[in-house]
Amino acid sequence: MSEKTNLISAGAEIARRNKRYVIWFYLLNLLLARFGAAAFNDQAHGILDHSLYADKLLHGFDLAVLVELLARPEFGAIPAASHPAMMFAVVFFLASLMFMPGVILGYSSDHRIPREEFFRACGRNVWRFVRLFLLFTIIAGIIGGILFAAFNTLATAADKTSHERLPFFTQLLGGLIIFLFLTVVRIWFDLAQTDVVLRDQSAVRKSIVAGFRKTRRHLGRLLVSYIVIALVALAVLVAGVFLWHAIVPPSSVLGAFIVGEATLLLLLGTRFWQRATVVAFYVKETLEPVAESRPISTFAVPVVP
Amino acid sequence: MHVRFCLFACLLAVPGFAQNGSSAVAIPATISAINSSTPLSQRVVAYNMDAKYDAKVHSLDATETLTYHNLTGQALDTFPFHLYLNAFQPTSTWMREGKREGTRNQDFEKWDPKSYGSEEIRSFEVVGQGDFTSQLQYIHPDDDNKDDRTVMQVHLLKPIPPDGYVQFKIKFHDQFPETLERTGWNRDFVLGGQWFPKVGVWWHGAWNCHQFHAYTEFFADFGVYDVKLTVPQYEVVGASGIEVSSVNNADGTKTVAYHGDDIHDFAWTASPHYRIYDDTFQGSMGPVKLRIMMQPAHWSQVQREARILKQTMDHFDHWYGPYPYKTLTLVDPDPGSQAFGMEYPTFITGGTTWWEPEGLHGNSEETIEHEFGHQYWYGMVATNEFEDAWMDEGINEYTQVKVMDSIFGPSTSVLNLWGATAGEREETRLFYVSVADLDPIAKNGWQYADSNSYGAITYGKTAIVLLTLESVIGEDTMRRAMHTYFLRYRFTHPTKEDFLKTIEEVSGKDLRWYFNQAIYGTQVLDYEVMKLSSVPVDWYKENLKEKMGETEYVDNVWIQRKGDFVMPIDVEIKFDNGDEIRERWDGQDRWVRYGYQKKAKIESVEVDPGHKINFDRNNFNNSQTAEANGGPARKLTNYWTCISQFCAQLLAWWLV
Repeated sequence: MSEKTNLISAGAEIARRNKRYVIWFYLLNLLLARFGAAAFNDQAHGILDHSLYADKLLHGFDLAVLVELLARPEFGAIPAASHPAMMFAVVFFLASLMFMPGVILGYSSDHRIPREEFFRACGRNVWRFVRLFLLFTIIAGIIGGILFAAFNTLATAADKTSHERLPFFTQLLGGLIIFLFLTVVRIWFDLAQTDVVLRDQSAVRKSIVAGFRKTRRHLGRLLVSYIVIALVALAVLVAGVFLWHAIVPPSSVLGAFIVGEATLLLLLGTRFWQRATVVAFYVKETLEPVAESRPISTFAVPVVP
Repeated sequence: MHVRFCLFACLLAVPGFAQNGSSAVAIPATISAINSSTPLSQRVVAYNMDAKYDAKVHSLDATETLTYHNLTGQALDTFPFHLYLNAFQPTSTWMREGKREGTRNQDFEKWDPKSYGSEEIRSFEVVGQGDFTSQLQYIHPDDDNKDDRTVMQVHLLKPIPPDGYVQFKIKFHDQFPETLERTGWNRDFVLGGQWFPKVGVWWHGAWNCHQFHAYTEFFADFGVYDVKLTVPQYEVVGASGIEVSSVNNADGTKTVAYHGDDIHDFAWTASPHYRIYDDTFQGSMGPVKLRIMMQPAHWSQVQREARILKQTMDHFDHWYGPYPYKTLTLVDPDPGSQAFGMEYPTFITGGTTWWEPEGLHGNSEETIEHEFGHQYWYGMVATNEFEDAWMDEGINEYTQVKVMDSIFGPSTSVLNLWGATAGEREETRLFYVSVADLDPIAKNGWQYADSNSYGAITYGKTAIVLLTLESVIGEDTMRRAMHTYFLRYRFTHPTKEDFLKTIEEVSGKDLRWYFNQAIYGTQVLDYEVMKLSSVPVDWYKENLKEKMGETEYVDNVWIQRKGDFVMPIDVEIKFDNGDEIRERWDGQDRWVRYGYQKKAKIESVEVDPGHKINFDRNNFNNSQTAEANGGPARKLTNYWTCISQFCAQLLAWWLV
């Protein structure tokens, strides 16, 4: 119990100490999303700014008005707004891939690493991380694909019964199991990434093997840590949606913005918390001896009086 | 007592023999299934059927005795019959159209043998004239598809004189498809709709018996139905009309008998899983027994279904007229089946889920309201659904908006969940706007450009046209017109002009200018505030300082009619000193300009400020403000940004 708590709290402490990384990534996330929303913003302003009908969107949220807006020819095709958003989401993913080595290095250090060191770590590991990403995609794809197909078959079979909730719960259970398996794969590759950065390992297969061994040996501990933090993320999301719904007036654009962005900042923070947990675990593991030496037992010679 | 009376009624409905013009054969004048002391319709047909359903192979063998009363005023020697289940075959007109257009979310990409359905005549006898089985002909009055077998015709040896009777004794075999077009089986559930040979309607001097098309419905004469259904004993059965008896047989089956008065179709359902909820609605003609047949997983929704059903019945009773039948059966069909949302006389299907949130009214509640509405617009006012689909679906959609808005509020009648709202009126309008000008309302159902146009025009446009008509004649007058129309034409087959003339008569107005554009034409209505300007009178003076309330302005407003639909409209101009001016424009020209000289600048201009013209294709250009308000766009952009950020985080969360 205390060990698990320590791992989670150690990760939290590292993430708190290095919160600048979360803030920078959040700002990047926001900036890229704003770029992605630029086309949508222009299209919406062009139609709504001078129309009294748009008031139904401000003082409330009339879905019919939104649908009509999206259907207007002058608004343009939906892909014209959605494609930039998707493109900038991919840019954020690539930026995360590129800068994560620096973050891992920073998390492993007990002092603030210089900027040059951060970027050097990023530069040195970028192709290693690309290779890790590709291997992760293959392994997660295979495992996820097999599990998805298996549960889909089960759900189809359940659908042939007359118990309507059975397919739903089959899919729900399947989804949870797939989530757990993919989380294990994620832990494995988070450890491999940490190994690559902290050991400056150019042969990523060695890090993958090392990550696999560590994951297998400490699966319970690591998985519980990740699940607990994921549950915190879920709670953050639910709380954010609740606050947005219960407290923010429909016409308060700023209020909705603040609640939404605060929620997204905290959500991003939970992922960094998971990473910090893995780094804390990795550092602790490499510092501790693999096997403790046992004292040599000797037999006392009986003294005959 | 009640059962004994019904058995007596059944005996009356089974004529011992039949002969042309014989007074011994008659359509029974039973009233056991209605809250009335006399028959309500001019009864043309009496169907007496005995059917046995084989649940293992989803087939049915039945005998049908059809008594037809020739009220056409002329001798008849030819009788067409609908064989609807033959539509579910690869070469039928229904399937060809479905393949071409798609229907009910099915695109028939690949032929599925489970989609096969058939209605096979095993023998066909005309009482007193002999066996005609070998002389039956398949006809195809709507197209040249020789492979279509949804209509058959028989030529009699001796014509049936005016006011004479004829009896047909038919043996037939049905194979139900896996649910298509609201009939067939799904797992161990079955819904028997359009399952028996049904005679056409003599209408306006000719037989009206169209082939089954992918997106048209039905048309039949009123009469009396006595039906015995034999099914496995484990089945829970529901059907049109009242249940007369239920008898267990020695072979593990049971026979359930039903009787219906003044109805024009008969549907039934069976499933081992139904849970039954009984309730009563006290209508103005007497009590109506409500039977709700729920899927066990949906039981938590049963009170909600009963509530909306009774609220709807109450609204119809007060606004349009009484529901005269003694029963109404609401079926919650098997999940995933294509049997949801359908109407048959005294028998409707809804459709819900076990998780449906209270704030979502646009699914099960809307469906129940809509299907019950069909008891009036189809069930009693029995219009020709092939040729005038708008008169059942569209008028029903209009009353749906009125009833749902009255129950749940105009802006929340579809959705009121987590701050998001949607109303029936806007939902219906969007449906219409999606395909606004492809087809007129007045068109044969199977001749629309495609299924989208059929749906948008017959449902959406009709409702919007009638809602907008309220702005011309007034909401109360419109309700009185609907009430008059119902009372005048219930248990008949009115035409489109019957309906339109009733509105003109009740309102006392000549509305041809409106009907010609809205019903018979494809004109689209779109008014726009082109521009507005406020220029100081002393604009030429150097160093002019504008002061609110002191500076005099020349204010101008331009309104344009962008569409080809001409309709008088109100225009409201608001000034920054609080003044408001309302103008009335007849819309005859393409544009109009209104000018004023005031010590105030124009703040905003709005066309149709009362929001009564739901017909307008673009609501955004109906108003214009002098100052921009970026709030709505900023709000949407923030939502869009948040969603984009969340998606980007999810992507990075899993992949990095």
